[in-house]
Amino acid sequence: MLKVDDLVTSYGLIKALRNVSLEAEKGKLTCILGPNGAGKSTLLFTIAGILKSDRGSIQFLGRQISKMKTSEIVKEGLVLVPENRLVFPHLSVRENLLAGAFSRFSRKDEVEEDVESVYQRFPILKERYLQEAGTLSGGEQQMLAVARALMARPKLLLMDEPSVGLAPKIVNTIFEIIKTLSEEGISIVLVEQNAVKASAIADHIYLLDQGEITFSGSPDEIEDNDIIKRAYLGDITES
Amino acid sequence: MNVEFIDIVQSLIDGVLYGSTYALIGLGFTLIFGAMEKLNMAYAASSIGGAYVGLGVSVLFSFPLVLIFFIGPIAAGVLSVLVYFCCFRYLPSNNHLAALMASIGGLFFIDEIISHETDGSPLDFPELGIFSEAYFEIEFSDMFLGFRGDLIFVMFASFVAMLFLLYLLYRTRLGLATRAVSQQPIAAQLCGISIHQTNSITFIIAGVLGGIAGCLAAASVGVISPLLVLPLTVKGLIVTVMGGLGSIRGAIIAGLLVGGLESVFLLLRGVNERDIYVFLLLFIFLVFKPNGFFGAEIDRD
Ligand SMILES: Nc1ncnc2c1ncn2[C@@H]1O[C@H](COP(=O)(O)OP(=O)(O)OP(=O)(O)O)[C@@H](O)[C@H]1O
Ligand SMILES: [Mg+2]
Repeated sequence: MLKVDDLVTSYGLIKALRNVSLEAEKGKLTCILGPNGAGKSTLLFTIAGILKSDRGSIQFLGRQISKMKTSEIVKEGLVLVPENRLVFPHLSVRENLLAGAFSRFSRKDEVEEDVESVYQRFPILKERYLQEAGTLSGGEQQMLAVARALMARPKLLLMDEPSVGLAPKIVNTIFEIIKTLSEEGISIVLVEQNAVKASAIADHIYLLDQGEITFSGSPDEIEDNDIIKRAYLGDITES
Repeated sequence: MNVEFIDIVQSLIDGVLYGSTYALIGLGFTLIFGAMEKLNMAYAASSIGGAYVGLGVSVLFSFPLVLIFFIGPIAAGVLSVLVYFCCFRYLPSNNHLAALMASIGGLFFIDEIISHETDGSPLDFPELGIFSEAYFEIEFSDMFLGFRGDLIFVMFASFVAMLFLLYLLYRTRLGLATRAVSQQPIAAQLCGISIHQTNSITFIIAGVLGGIAGCLAAASVGVISPLLVLPLTVKGLIVTVMGGLGSIRGAIIAGLLVGGLESVFLLLRGVNERDIYVFLLLFIFLVFKPNGFFGAEIDRD
């Protein structure tokens, strides 16, 4: 469904992505792991069209999207839940959701239906629908960011470190949500540093380090690969 | 000079009514600042420019003069979006200084064109018909306070324009997009909102507001002149700073306040000194209250 080929993105003279190639399959949860500064966010921003690549191709549902504007890419059904959530701080929860449906140009009652179904998925958002999003807790903001992305009816959901900076209990909730979405058939590309939790729900895993893909395989294959295992799961294998 | 209390109250009233045009100009500055975090220095110039175009077109084609008040704002909207494309759209978005300098260039460019076309001399601007002749007096504990009909109309029209703006911002899809872009531009893009498109529309809306302000200001004075451009620019900036950059209610309140104070300064110190005190206000605010009344109402994370 998503096919990235030989992608290079740089900030000035510094190459943050060096010939990255990867694929995400329909209905699957693809996970990208990597340390700080590996280029994970750069990769997702490039796919979503916020950053422009120097070269390489990005195909989504058979269409070349690497030259398209972000707003057009969203209309194609490729939606990013960005790092640090980036909710609209002074819009109400409800307005954040409506903004999420901006790309759809659908009828009002259709959007209202989706708002309702998002409220059912995240009841806390319904409770706070008039509250300014900036005053929500971190976990609630993350749920709102996911909910806002769902309002666009994504075919493929990109998620950038949704668990970062959250309390362990909330992290579990967030991973539950991701798992549920994936089981419902939504295709997901998940970027994470929480390797243990991510590999527990992933169908396929890529490792990204200093702008390069260093490993690609199923979670089981990571288990079997001692070097990789020590480097990425090493100090957190207690669970 | 013997100034009585009633005179001060009277000038305050005249000034506050007239100040609604400053509020409109301040709103325009604030809208654009909210959207891009940039000052559009050419804003008052495009507003007055719109009023000129309205006057010119109406006289040229012998339209009824009331049409000035429709053609003017539309023309100002067009000029404003031209300013966007010339001074903002294609400059690197993180280079605030470049946009500032470019828009100062736009200010002088429009100003020069107006001066050139009119040989620098003021033109008669149609007054507000029956409103200009109307005058109300209210007795208030032994004082007689007068309300000029044209100024009441100016304030009324300004408030209608403001209500329309608030409706656009808070009740429409377009307004939601504008607010989203101003609060979190990256997330706005990720919601499928086009930043350039939204910014162009913001410039058009701000331009139309400015055109209304320009026409009303010229109509209540009865003349239009290139000399209106610079003071309006400076007062728009003062209003924006006093209200708090990006704050809508701040701009409205500060606009009325600057209008009122200016008029009192005029009464007390005469036309030569009036603006000195208005500028002094700017310094006082920049030093003691740099965020204005409602600073950072629209901010970014
Ligand atoms: N705006 C920028 N300008 C210059 N360099 C940048 C910029 N953003 C990121 N970089 C650099 O690009 C590299 C990749 O950054 P990126 O944010 O993609 O990493 P990441 O894998 O998402 O890290 P983290 O896990 O901390 O979010 C880093 O070395 C970073 O310093
Ligand atoms: Mg990152």
